[in-house]
Amino acid sequence: MFEFINTLLIGITAGSIYSLMAISIVLVWRSTRVINFAAGGLALASSFVGAAVLEKTGSFWIALPLAMVAGAVFSAFIEFFFLRPLLKRSGDKGAEIFLPIIATLGLLGIIKTILSYIYGERIGSLPPPLSDKGFIVSGESIALSPMRILILGIVLLLMISLTLIFQRTNLGLSLRASSFAPEISRLAGIRVDLIRTVGWAISGAAGATAGILQTTNGSGSVAPESFEFSLLLVFGFVAAVIGGIESLVGAVLGGLTLGIILAIILMYVGGSLVFIAAFLILILILLLRPQGIIGAKGGRRA
Amino acid sequence: MAVVHKLHVTNKHRFIGFVLIGLMVYILSNTVDEWKAFQGATIAVYVVAIASIILLTGYTGQISLGHGALLAIGAYTAALTQIYLQLPVWICFIAAVLVTSLFGAILGSAAARLSGPYLAGTTLALAVGLPSIANQFSFLGGEQGISFDVGWPPLSLGEAFTQYKWFFWITSLAALITLWWIQNLLRSRYGRTWRAVKTNEVAAELAGIHVARSKVLAFTVSAGIAGMAGALLAATINNVSPSAFPLALSFSLATGAVLSGVNTLGGVMIGAVALVAIPEIASLVSDRWSGSESVASLLPDFIVSALLILTVFLAPKGPIENFRSRHVK
Repeated sequence: MFEFINTLLIGITAGSIYSLMAISIVLVWRSTRVINFAAGGLALASSFVGAAVLEKTGSFWIALPLAMVAGAVFSAFIEFFFLRPLLKRSGDKGAEIFLPIIATLGLLGIIKTILSYIYGERIGSLPPPLSDKGFIVSGESIALSPMRILILGIVLLLMISLTLIFQRTNLGLSLRASSFAPEISRLAGIRVDLIRTVGWAISGAAGATAGILQTTNGSGSVAPESFEFSLLLVFGFVAAVIGGIESLVGAVLGGLTLGIILAIILMYVGGSLVFIAAFLILILILLLRPQGIIGAKGGRRA
Repeated sequence: MAVVHKLHVTNKHRFIGFVLIGLMVYILSNTVDEWKAFQGATIAVYVVAIASIILLTGYTGQISLGHGALLAIGAYTAALTQIYLQLPVWICFIAAVLVTSLFGAILGSAAARLSGPYLAGTTLALAVGLPSIANQFSFLGGEQGISFDVGWPPLSLGEAFTQYKWFFWITSLAALITLWWIQNLLRSRYGRTWRAVKTNEVAAELAGIHVARSKVLAFTVSAGIAGMAGALLAATINNVSPSAFPLALSFSLATGAVLSGVNTLGGVMIGAVALVAIPEIASLVSDRWSGSESVASLLPDFIVSALLILTVFLAPKGPIENFRSRHVK
């Protein structure tokens, strides 16, 4: 029982980080109908920024917000200079989602090679700012540490603020409107292009947070060819798809589901089956609900 | 508008074309060294693999980011057939195609219900997940993998006939036969059905096409061809292991398909040659101009990525379509 609760805690922490990455992917999908594989590269680049700031200032509390800003700027840059012209050319047909996917894969490759060129064999170090030793409950150490609580707290805070932005502010209303009906929003006076860039920027900030938390929760260091980040990208995407790729709530549920099930499999079945399990979970959920856990059948949700 | 004299190309012309290409490969195989022959074989393998993606994505509109996993299934099937059943090599190839098709049919029936991002996600998860299964079951050989050996060239070809030249022959012949078959298939009733489904699903359904069934069929055929490519890949490297089928393989196959022009089978050589030639060119460039080791190792990835973005921007329908549309205007 004790072991099972620990497994759950590990799964929830990992899952909440996947949720952030999933949110990053969902935000881009909602604003421009693009699956953004470059999100993994952006998270990586912003984590390097975070590591650099941490090295200069010694404070995680400055590094995290600056990394988020960097992620937002990188992401907006990519939207403005690559995706916007590309989507203008292909004329927003929507049917051809293959080309934008390939373009973002190309961007991922370019970001990774540039980072490898700059950093080479050096790695960025992002140690946990709080103790990652588990609390002691009745003589045994549980898988809940100050660091894990911090991670859950940051993720929760971000989710609450995103929900507030989307539900309570004019910006959120414009974001929802321009993803729901771009033409009508344009007619209503919303600057859809600008709003899309903002959507990408928020996505970049969420991705940066996911990257930093993944690093501090994992090995504590970040390298250009990091396996942790490939996992983050793939599992974040899988979580987004499980959640129906349109919905932020779905992304969170997808991330947590994936995190918990994978932790259980890792604990009780075997490490090398984790990846295929992610595939089986995905296909099972999609066969039962082809539109994801939350996704609505037919129409789109704003 | 200029008058276009359209040459009427019949199947006979195409057959002659294929024979000519085969002849060129034959002459080429006699002039190149061992390393070039190995690269030739690799190109032939990529041709088959990319053709399977083009058939799926370009002609039926389904996205796959996980064809590397299908190659892995083909490769493992071929190797297991050889090791445990001790059957002749050509039966191993057939087994690879059949088993992978079967898997493709199962995957395809799930995929037919999915579209766009959902399908991309599912296939991506498959590409990440499948190769690591080999570490779980000991008969799959773990990280070291298992061997697959097509044997030495027959003695009747002479003493000087090298191993890699033999691989080059086998893979090129397989690639030519596969391409011939695919291009006939795409001109058949099935090919027209697929194109109808891709262009407008609702219209196709109204015209009496069973959309789901034709999508599953396309996935099955594409998987079978990918299985063939996997078995050929295993044959050229003599071995099947998880590390031969990383996520990067799936991505580079998608890359190859885009560089070839995802809507035209005719460009399939371009992507395959590019995938093999770019690392070569990159190493030449870095040797001459920088000599730095980090540049040498990073340049191929950088060139491929940059080329991808350029292709998407400048020739989104692929180089061949781009050329054609520019000249037929």
